[in-house]
Amino acid sequence: MGRKLLLEKAHVEGIRSFEVYRREGGYRSVEKALKTMSPEEIVEEVKKSGLRGRGGAGFPAGMKWSFIAKPEGVPRHLVCNADESEPGTFKDRYLMEFIPHLLIEGLIVSSFALGSNATYIYIRGEYAWIPDILEEAIAEAKANGFLGKNILGTGFDCEIYVQRGAGAYICGEETALIESLEGKRGNPRIKPPFPAIKGVWGRPTVVNNVETLASVVPIINEGGEEYAKIGVGKSTGTKLISACGNINKPGVFEIDMTISVEEFIYSDEYCGGIANGKRLKACIPGGSSVPILPANLMLKTAKGETRYMNYESLSDGGFATGSMMGSGGFIVLDEDQCVVRNTYSLARFYRHESCGQCSPCREGTGWMEKLLYRLEKGEGKSSDIDLLWDIQRKIEGNTICPLGDAAAWPVAAAIRHFRDEFEWHVSHAAEAQTRNFGLAHYSDPIHVPA
Amino acid sequence: MVQFSEAQMAKVNQIIARYPEGKQKSALLPLLHLAQDSFGGWLSAETMDYVAELLQITPIEVYEVATFYSMYNTKPVGKYLFEVCQTGPCMLNGSDNIIDYIGKTLGIKPGETTTDGLFTLKTVECLGACGYAPMMQLGKHYREHLTKEKVDAIIAECRSAAAANN
Amino acid sequence: MSDTTLFKVTIDNISIDVPAGTTILNAARMIGGDVAPPAMCYYSKLEGSGGKCRTCLVEVSKGSEKDPRPMPKLVASCRTTVMDGMEVKNITSPKVVDARAGVVEFLLLNHPLDCPICDQAGECHLQDLSYEHGKEGTRYEFQRRTFKKHDLGKYIQLHMTRCILCYRCVFAADQLTGKREHGILDRGDHSEIATMIEKNLQNDFIGNVIDVCPVGALTDKTFRFKNRVWFLKPMNAHRDCPTCSGKVTLWNRGEEVFRVTARKDQWGEVEDWICNECRFEKKQSSDWTIEGPRLIDRHSVISQGHYAGTVGTHMPTETIEAVLNGRKPKLLMDIHEVSEVNRPKIELSKINGPAHSNNFNPDND
Repeated sequence: MGRKLLLEKAHVEGIRSFEVYRREGGYRSVEKALKTMSPEEIVEEVKKSGLRGRGGAGFPAGMKWSFIAKPEGVPRHLVCNADESEPGTFKDRYLMEFIPHLLIEGLIVSSFALGSNATYIYIRGEYAWIPDILEEAIAEAKANGFLGKNILGTGFDCEIYVQRGAGAYICGEETALIESLEGKRGNPRIKPPFPAIKGVWGRPTVVNNVETLASVVPIINEGGEEYAKIGVGKSTGTKLISACGNINKPGVFEIDMTISVEEFIYSDEYCGGIANGKRLKACIPGGSSVPILPANLMLKTAKGETRYMNYESLSDGGFATGSMMGSGGFIVLDEDQCVVRNTYSLARFYRHESCGQCSPCREGTGWMEKLLYRLEKGEGKSSDIDLLWDIQRKIEGNTICPLGDAAAWPVAAAIRHFRDEFEWHVSHAAEAQTRNFGLAHYSDPIHVPA
Repeated sequence: MVQFSEAQMAKVNQIIARYPEGKQKSALLPLLHLAQDSFGGWLSAETMDYVAELLQITPIEVYEVATFYSMYNTKPVGKYLFEVCQTGPCMLNGSDNIIDYIGKTLGIKPGETTTDGLFTLKTVECLGACGYAPMMQLGKHYREHLTKEKVDAIIAECRSAAAANN
Repeated sequence: MSDTTLFKVTIDNISIDVPAGTTILNAARMIGGDVAPPAMCYYSKLEGSGGKCRTCLVEVSKGSEKDPRPMPKLVASCRTTVMDGMEVKNITSPKVVDARAGVVEFLLLNHPLDCPICDQAGECHLQDLSYEHGKEGTRYEFQRRTFKKHDLGKYIQLHMTRCILCYRCVFAADQLTGKREHGILDRGDHSEIATMIEKNLQNDFIGNVIDVCPVGALTDKTFRFKNRVWFLKPMNAHRDCPTCSGKVTLWNRGEEVFRVTARKDQWGEVEDWICNECRFEKKQSSDWTIEGPRLIDRHSVISQGHYAGTVGTHMPTETIEAVLNGRKPKLLMDIHEVSEVNRPKIELSKINGPAHSNNFNPDND
């Protein structure tokens, strides 16, 4: 069993309260950081840890922190991105619900490192009950001198505020989040300037994911080098994976990124195998935006090597035969699932969530949805498949923000790996309405289609 | 006329105080939530104009934001709003059947409200409960692992709560 | 870095030195011609505009002298500033041409092809763009998007179906009127320009949204269905206006003023904003001091019909003798003698309305 750094204490009775959390060793990192370290040393420690952003892009967190501009007399802000909206991802919710003080602790240390005296948690509006939990934790931390003015007598002031969104996936994109925090429509900004230079209210800002900021706690407690020893390669530390779909044990798991995909899916410690004794058809390993992979490529790379649950191994083979770690939303499809239908459902999601600001995404997502709907209903043409391919290609990379890519990749990967299933929906239109295409060759972990 | 109570105004001022001087527009999203909860579960033009006045911004700035975010209702909704997720992972676990079932039981299609004004059925995209699918949001909380039986129980619960309030 | 620092940028193999802080698009416009990427949303006079339509995407094949790495994605040239030594490919990049064709297709996807009844036809940037960068036909086989009608008052006609969501009118209202009353409502492919509650747009300068609109989404109600722009003669004119500069372009047919617009430069951008009174209420020639014909220096339909343009409308200044190096040209025949139509006595500009064969009939002399 792998080490747990974040969720180890998540199920201790009463851990939501400051008292229990503190008794279990909570807030030690605040004491250590504020009393014995300089902000630069903290940034250095996070750099050493190799921590990569847990929101989806996997950008090294310490590096991101070091980019923040420090103009004289201009306040800086840390913003915690709790706008978890990527289909398949519900890990941040779990962390905030069960062990809210861990996030608050991470936020205090990170705010100190970045020089943020007013830190904001931007949480998706639908998580309507969680702000109460967080605000309670903030109030307790404040009452105990870990927040507010002159924290622990160090002279550092910090307030944390919770801001609720109101239903927009796009606000998970950091500049859209900033716009939303400013009380505007969640239209992503055109970069540059990056938030580190000009963020919220034009001030230097760092936006980090919940899990990233919570991970700062063990990094400070154990030291960056110790943290980096966990995991493998550039996938250091532990990662929260939210697993869902057709598995026996959906839920949130903390893994140390050395386990194989096969173990993750089939071991009782994690997903517990495919539900109802069925066979694995495909996986979307990192939230709905990342490429879907058929079972064979999911369990083994194109080279025939075991695929592991870490950044490098999941992306082995690039987009041709690999996928991405993404946000850690692990979606499993069993043999009874229809890839065309699943792709349609995701395309509908992206059309619904496109902000409408730039033309390729605004128009392209709706077009893809309509074509996929037609294909799924057995009313499509085989040329629709090529058309879909062309549309996604013209969206990808040509939009203001990554939502365009996120909408394009699932369609591209579905066609790349499951083209025969799409074609079957055209050639066997009536039959496709009554039964599923099934597994075909995807269950064979050794055979890799050319 | 829409008007926050004194207690609500204290909350409003507390929210505005979270932001730097002159950046009170940042309070728009929280204030719209508060207004929607306080004034009938939806945002009328009158409500939005009121919020604009509170924040000293133009009404159009409020309309733009209110129509952008899916949680703000710019039309009246039923007393109980069933927001059922239909995205990928929920779909894999049979959300379509749940949506159909709720629709049939209540006699409405997604987007419609029952004639007694009690229920509105709305399909929504991913709410972040993929591991507990199928699910829906009802008010502040999620109802997860939905089955037909659970849906029946939720509807009955709403009906009796409504009856008790009358 | 002082403002006078010059950066050398090479666009489509043509180099130019521009002040630091200049965008790629503006550098390209300084070079001019086909090197300048098309822009549907960017408007140099509107702060914050640009970046949205994606028609001006270019490839940066060399980031700068210091960091020569190419940029991984195509960038919006209107919002990317040049670096010293930067190399940019616009029409010389197959990637750009391909992406731009894609963007044009996306922009046209839900755009009604109602050009025959659209007042913008002839001066529509989307028409120009599709003609230059688009493809024939559409691959879209679904119903096009429509919207509920909104009334913006007696001056401005809104056709939301034609809107490409460039946001220019929003920036214009923000920056010219002080109190914006219309905006972008809803999200994604259902975003629309509206006032939410039916409201007339009232502000002395709101009429300028018509001029900044690249398509026929916002048109002049006082000119609606009155005439085709290419039948009209643009004339520079001015009046002593208490509200604005009073410098306008009149669009005449004969003596009749059909419409008044601001003067637009070669990129289709307004030179001086004008007020509603000048635009909508001054439709008599006597209201104006006419300066002379307006040069429409764009390769648009309008310029084809009228004055000096960039394509085929330049009159050579040299005499034939000069061109032939002193040799006398041999006149085979005088066109005016053999053709009924080319009658030198008839001055086209003095004919009321479009010329008709009757005008050239010698019996009518």
